[in-house]
Amino acid sequence: MKSIKAISAVALVATLTLAGCSSGANGGDAGGDVTIEFQTGFAVDDGEMTLMKELVSEFEASNQGVTIDLIAAGTDYESDMKVRLAAGTAPDIWNTHGWSLLRYSEFLLPLEDQPWADDVIDSLDETMRNDAGEIFALPTNIDISGLIYNADVLEAAGVDPYGIESWDDFDDAADAVNSDTVSPIYQGGKPLAGALADRVVSGTFDDDDLAEMLDGSFVTPAYEEMLDLVQDWGDSGYFNPDYSSASRDDMAKALAQGQAAFMYGPSLLFDNAWSFNPDANLGFMPIPTTTGAPRYLVGGERTAFGISNKTENPDEAKAFIAFLAENDTALAAASTSPPGLTTATMELGKLQPSFEKWMTEEEVPVLPYFDRVYLPNGSWESMQVTTDVVITGQGTPAQATEQMKSTYDSLRGQSE
Amino acid sequence: MTTAPLKPSRGLRRSATRGGGYVNLLYLPALVLFAVFMIYPLISGIGLAFTNWNGYSEARSFVGFDNFARLFSDPVFATAVRNTFIFGIGCTIIQQVFGLGLAIALDKPLRGRSTVRAIVYLPVLVSPIIMGTMYYLLLQYNDGAFNDVVVAFGGERMAWLADSSMAIAIIVAVNSLQFMGISMIIYLAGLQSIPEMYYDAASLDGATTWQQFRYVTVPLLQPAFATSIVLNLIGGLKLFDVIKILTNGGPGYSTQSVSTLISTTYFDSQSAGYASAMGVALFAIIIVITIIMNKVLGSRKVEA
Amino acid sequence: MSRLSKVLIGIGLAVVCFVQLLPFYVALTTSLKPKTDLSSQLALPGEIFFGNFASALDDGNILRAIVNSIIVTAVSTFFVCVLGALAAYPLARRGTWVNKVIMLVILSMIMVPPLSILVPLYTMLSKMGGVNTYWGIILVMIATHLSLSVFLYAAFLRTIPSSLEEAAKLDGANLLQTLFYIVFPLLKPVTATVIILTGIATWNEYALSSFILTKPDVQTIAPAIASFFSLQSSNLGAAAAAALLALAPVLIAYLFLQQYFMKGMVAGAEK
Repeated sequence: MKSIKAISAVALVATLTLAGCSSGANGGDAGGDVTIEFQTGFAVDDGEMTLMKELVSEFEASNQGVTIDLIAAGTDYESDMKVRLAAGTAPDIWNTHGWSLLRYSEFLLPLEDQPWADDVIDSLDETMRNDAGEIFALPTNIDISGLIYNADVLEAAGVDPYGIESWDDFDDAADAVNSDTVSPIYQGGKPLAGALADRVVSGTFDDDDLAEMLDGSFVTPAYEEMLDLVQDWGDSGYFNPDYSSASRDDMAKALAQGQAAFMYGPSLLFDNAWSFNPDANLGFMPIPTTTGAPRYLVGGERTAFGISNKTENPDEAKAFIAFLAENDTALAAASTSPPGLTTATMELGKLQPSFEKWMTEEEVPVLPYFDRVYLPNGSWESMQVTTDVVITGQGTPAQATEQMKSTYDSLRGQSE
Repeated sequence: MTTAPLKPSRGLRRSATRGGGYVNLLYLPALVLFAVFMIYPLISGIGLAFTNWNGYSEARSFVGFDNFARLFSDPVFATAVRNTFIFGIGCTIIQQVFGLGLAIALDKPLRGRSTVRAIVYLPVLVSPIIMGTMYYLLLQYNDGAFNDVVVAFGGERMAWLADSSMAIAIIVAVNSLQFMGISMIIYLAGLQSIPEMYYDAASLDGATTWQQFRYVTVPLLQPAFATSIVLNLIGGLKLFDVIKILTNGGPGYSTQSVSTLISTTYFDSQSAGYASAMGVALFAIIIVITIIMNKVLGSRKVEA
Repeated sequence: MSRLSKVLIGIGLAVVCFVQLLPFYVALTTSLKPKTDLSSQLALPGEIFFGNFASALDDGNILRAIVNSIIVTAVSTFFVCVLGALAAYPLARRGTWVNKVIMLVILSMIMVPPLSILVPLYTMLSKMGGVNTYWGIILVMIATHLSLSVFLYAAFLRTIPSSLEEAAKLDGANLLQTLFYIVFPLLKPVTATVIILTGIATWNEYALSSFILTKPDVQTIAPAIASFFSLQSSNLGAAAAAALLALAPVLIAYLFLQQYFMKGMVAGAEK
């Protein structure tokens, strides 16, 4: 049969090619050359990736014999890292994307003796250091956001974003913008229902509640209060019709095109939205509370790079991380985020007005992500789905809170 | 994919196999590969089902049958099992209907026949993860092509995937559209193996087109039916990428299949132990299906 | 057949073709528009934009991915056919209870979801040094696709009378001679099926490849295309361009193999 013959021939050629390739690759390590595998977690054409490619070639040029193997990742990045950690074959350096302490610290080298370690900005330093004073990653930027909005949409409806101080004010604003073409809250249930809960929930817990959460008992009323708010928004028709299927890209596109007034999510939504419409007029504002505490923004670790404690080349890896720290101004600007180090300058472009208003003028508090401090590692998925269940009307806030409590209890059991 | 309906006589088969067990050496290479790359990983997975491992950390402790106990009272798992069967059976039925219909239509001489075949088959050549993404684009609320058409005809935009039953139906449809080309090819091959003289004889006897189909085509297509049904059933039961992309199991948990639920539980909820228990349960279901399939396939050749 | 039913069939086929081509049309328009072009997916681009194709080639390294996919698919498919046919022969011809159990085990392997074996498999492969290598992914592809091949070959073999093999044996042929000169030539039609099914499945494999192949040098097309979507950003246009580029070789292969497939089937029936 001809096809069989053809395929055998291809197989033969391929096998020969393989043999050639692998023998070539094995010869590379001789002569003291060092290769550092750097798993970035960025898409191949991401802005931060493009800059990283330039920085890597600059670093390699001044450090002969060191090769940085820069690796892009798809949406399965987190799963990929978990599989590699389970297999004991972590890359030398990887992006800890918010989890340097809670998830990854048992696999990372402590870096508090590094030249940049004392320059980490305060709000990150608090959440990235453990009780022993160890810090496990270099944060190149910080994820700060509150309630994200499209300023043009609000203006067209006569809403002043700076005037929204309570949830009642928010409801008035939402009613004013609600129309066939504009959704007051444009949220994607698939990726970011949990992001909504995670941001709003800090405003329904008072200090005593938070202390109880840290002690290991779940504060049901405070959590349920957050879900009650969410249910009210659903009942008032604030969510987008395609809530349950919208992807993060759909959210960004709706924000860019003025189909969304507000949304909750990480600050990377801004960049995503501007990639569709560079002229979109976007901003963010602090989130109201129900406890009488002042309004707040939410922020935490975004892009951060840690070094595997199993790396064979810790010195080269540390040198590269230190080199990245020197270039933090550019790295932060590439993601339109404030830098993670005090030594870098902020170049926020179109987000500058929001930052100046809330951070410089009003000095509103920046709270850490609720789940990273008060919930056990692994709660995110449950937070995501229980919120989704309430928004899609498949369960009541009480039921969802009950489920959240059982996740909290079982995960705390797992970690002890 | 079998064509000759002949069954070897028992005596012949006996004597052919009496040659001794060394023939069995032929399956050794395959068995070694299975043992190393599938059975060993599967068994290590079973061990994890008795732990509370989070999926990556070195810490884990033994929890006995806790995970299995949880499984039986977990409504989410029950939903996922139900959905898995809906996906498996739904896709199988739709693909048989369309596959056979297309094969019959394209078996006759027709201008552009091979082009149509190629077009029907085209989506098979694309990774399901990409096909799912393409359909997601079509189904988007604000910029999706389907809604553009709806609006152009004066209708209201639809949130296609917001309702769970609708979302399940769409998932079944997308997977069936993608893979009906495989059924079509199998049935085409089957049809071409039916000698023309059978039809000639039937029409001489005054059989109508329907009677020819019922009494000549269907019986002689038995092997093709078996192959096509098995392949589609496997595809439907294993469905993963399309669900991940179109709904990611939502709204809530309502469109999860067992595979997607295992993935979510393993990676997102970080409950690898519980996910492994689900894997064990799934494997038990698989074995039952395999035994049934094997029985059905073993017996049908006699009738063919 | 009446004129009316001919027309109806024609219309039905036209609808099917339209439905099947629609996603590809949308992929094409998406790939030819910049990200800032938010016009309807159905609208053709006002001005053709090649940036996405450039990005697919430069950032996505898609040509390299196509070469990698060809290597992995060709080698895996070859071994899946050979090992599958060899394994099916004793299982179809010697119905001892041991063989029946082995057959059942192999059949149940067909439906094992990749995720159930992922972590132990990856751990083992990385200890063997097989992560990010051709041989690593090829072994995994063979193992995960072999069961279907054994099933198809065994089902086909059971329908072929063993009289020819008997005769060969009487003429003094040994087992290997019987296999290569008598049995394997009879397996042509089912081999075409196995090649098509395995070839397409390995070409498009994502669930395991995305973990085992993370470096561009060895990455196959599905993970390469997926690397345009990350936790942080996504580029549909470039991904669509990459997907269309990756479709070309496999489409050509299909058009070429389709003839063999049909001929093989007919030949199988005549025997």
